[in-house]
Amino acid sequence: MTTDNTETRTVGEIAEELYLQCIRCGKCLAVCPVYRETRIETLSPRGRVALYRAVGENELSTGEVYANKFYNCLMCEACREACPSGVQLDVILTQVRADMARSGLLPGSLQRLDETIVAAGNISGEANEQRLGWTSNLESPPAGLDHGGQAEVAYFVGCVSSLFPASYSIPQSLVQIFERAGVNYGLMGGEERCCGYPLYLNGEVERAVEMARRNIEAVRATGASRVVMSCPSCHHMWKHTYPELLDEDALDGLEVLHETEMLAELARAGRLHLKPWPVTVTYHDSCDLGRKGGIFEAPRDVLRAIPDLELVEMADHHANSLCCGGGGNLETYNRELAQSLPRRRLEQARDAGAKYTVVSCQQCKRTLFGAARREKIRIRVTDLSEVVLRQLEDPSDD
Amino acid sequence: MTENKLSPAVIDELEAIVGEQYVLNSPEDLVAYSYDSTFTSARPNLVVLPGSTQEVSKVLEVANRELIPIVPRGMGTGLSAGSIPFGGGIVLPLTRMDRLLDIDLDNMMATAEAGIITSELADALARKGYFYPPDPSSDHYSTLGGNAACNAGGAHCLKYGITGHYVVALEVVLADGRIMRVGGKATKNVTGYDLVHLLIGSEGTLAIITEVTVRFITPPETERTAEAIFPKLADAGKAINAVLSSGAKPSMLEIMDETSIKSVEDYLHLGLPLDVEAILVIQTDGDEAEAVRGIEIVAEVCRQNGARDVRVAATPEESAEMWHARHSISGSLGRIRPNKLGEDITVPHSVIPRLITRIKEISARWNLPIVIFGHAGDGNLHPNILFDKRDPEEYERVEGAVGDLFRVAVELGGSLSGEHGVGVLKRPYLEMALGPVAVEMQKRIKQAWDPNNILNPGKIFV
Repeated sequence: MTTDNTETRTVGEIAEELYLQCIRCGKCLAVCPVYRETRIETLSPRGRVALYRAVGENELSTGEVYANKFYNCLMCEACREACPSGVQLDVILTQVRADMARSGLLPGSLQRLDETIVAAGNISGEANEQRLGWTSNLESPPAGLDHGGQAEVAYFVGCVSSLFPASYSIPQSLVQIFERAGVNYGLMGGEERCCGYPLYLNGEVERAVEMARRNIEAVRATGASRVVMSCPSCHHMWKHTYPELLDEDALDGLEVLHETEMLAELARAGRLHLKPWPVTVTYHDSCDLGRKGGIFEAPRDVLRAIPDLELVEMADHHANSLCCGGGGNLETYNRELAQSLPRRRLEQARDAGAKYTVVSCQQCKRTLFGAARREKIRIRVTDLSEVVLRQLEDPSDD
Repeated sequence: MTENKLSPAVIDELEAIVGEQYVLNSPEDLVAYSYDSTFTSARPNLVVLPGSTQEVSKVLEVANRELIPIVPRGMGTGLSAGSIPFGGGIVLPLTRMDRLLDIDLDNMMATAEAGIITSELADALARKGYFYPPDPSSDHYSTLGGNAACNAGGAHCLKYGITGHYVVALEVVLADGRIMRVGGKATKNVTGYDLVHLLIGSEGTLAIITEVTVRFITPPETERTAEAIFPKLADAGKAINAVLSSGAKPSMLEIMDETSIKSVEDYLHLGLPLDVEAILVIQTDGDEAEAVRGIEIVAEVCRQNGARDVRVAATPEESAEMWHARHSISGSLGRIRPNKLGEDITVPHSVIPRLITRIKEISARWNLPIVIFGHAGDGNLHPNILFDKRDPEEYERVEGAVGDLFRVAVELGGSLSGEHGVGVLKRPYLEMALGPVAVEMQKRIKQAWDPNNILNPGKIFV
């Protein structure tokens, strides 16, 4: 039992039309990863809407306990997708987090994350120049370092792949694929910064805007007309949130793509020569790329281009995909809860008969890979870029 | 009053039983456990989440001693306000008790804790090649224990029966904390009163269901689904009876009226026709020949009775889409008005066309939109009154319309509730439906089982 001793504070406006839309049918309970694991109504989408409504009707005051219910959320938006009544849960969840941040209720662990990002320009806190650490054990330095302002595609690597060695293989694979396929790409190195998504999720909108401006500048300096991301969260932030935060034409002349779209385009153009791989794989849609970004078929098209590969779907897939547990900064806020979530997803992969779960997100990879070990579930987890590089025919075979 | 009974010493005692983290009393938790899927709400004084039958038993010993109301709750998706703690007290969600305990393939029976999600039981059985037919629209977000306590139905009930037809045994905790097992796996058993079926549908007023044993069956070899489009609602009503007497043996026969169609189309964008008054969604099953022949008869009969078009699903995916539309109506109604009152009146299926006419009259008389959908084939309709509770004058009209709906159902030889239960919302009409003697006998049962009236007090009876 907990006791709410925190003082009452006033937060931003509660929009009546947002909560009146909820008729409490409970359909969101069936899809919320946190509810499915905890079975606690207060940690469910319907519960959060009820809390939001109670505040709006002056029946409840906000405080740390209230905030806690909203930070124990993956922001995966499965609830918004499932809602028959059209409740805009994404708007409610984002608004409450922004209100919490403004009224000083941002939890300490998330405050520290934000301070790190602002000070260092990345989520790990290392000097931002270290962003090229992943290039050090490549056979030769990536061609994208010498773009001379003439690149066609800028590669926005993202913090996790740049700075966490367990994810290095994703950018390493992608630049090798680019070079084998003859893509003229450029890297920003230390000029690239955190995309700002963690700040935005924590409700720190102004700080996210600053990141957006500097990143757009850095990409424009490469001369590229396209920018590609490996990280679905960076992609979502760039493609959907930057234009909202800045202005509609902030990205004029710049096409924002995810790695999977580039790979599908190269496969379609016959620029990837892929060897057969007789194995059963399933594809895990990341929330930011799939449900929020609408990109479902590009990664599947790439997998289908691999001869002999059998692609199977899990019980929850496409727009109804089940979050791996790595979203919403939950891992930083409540590690124990976050770590309890991926098991269900891995069981779905196993039940689908897959040997491999292919992801296109470094965070999903980290989360599912770690959980497979912890839970001793025999499923291999690999990124699409790693699969493609491994299946590229040796140039000497050509 | 209840608040005083929940002294720090009593709360300590409850925490010692279930663990500190499973006794909730923050205002946030009390808000989250104050509602079900109706428009009403009331906060409990405490939420206690037991993890085992033993813990339920000990919690009830304390509650019975201290005379604290206990309101059992599954996932809070009931439609009768049956799990809302109007008199305060302890809300007791069974959601932590969600283990599937046994699948007995020899007897074709499965045993699970009360808090298991119904679809998770059905999916586990389907993976082994078996079929658990009761399928309330909320089967992915309601519990087996809740389904048993309310005797939930669903679309498949037309051919396969309701939850109560599948429950063979229960483990329950009585008001004083004693644990009792009733029923069993023997198919025939007339040793004493049939307490299993007394408890089924008792809405948590006689005992707390902690474990449920259900039988299951082998699934039909195949199924076929058709959507019949009716420009006139009255024709759809007539077609229902024609289909039922045609020899097609439908496994599901559901109706969606004009407003249901528009509301669900707005949600799913399936391309449903928006210029018609009704759609019937019908399924046949059996072996290949039986299912195909059945759906052909259905299509023919619907055409003869005014269907403009009958679309037979070509693939299981198309069929799933048709049913997804039907299952999504209730939730999608929030797109039209902020509140809905979803009833589940039930009549002999022969008078469905008359019932539809009467509902339309009630809608006009009270100047309120009433959406009609539901299990037309078994005579169980869901007229949903749409309104805005913030307007007191409108809410008065809603109450008037509800009374009329119940009166019409009883007049036509039916009753108040086919599958949602009485809860609080239908209490005032109980005597009208059952007569004073039957109500008196039911109240005596309640008094015998729960002399201190701590189990879901104020439900079913005024």
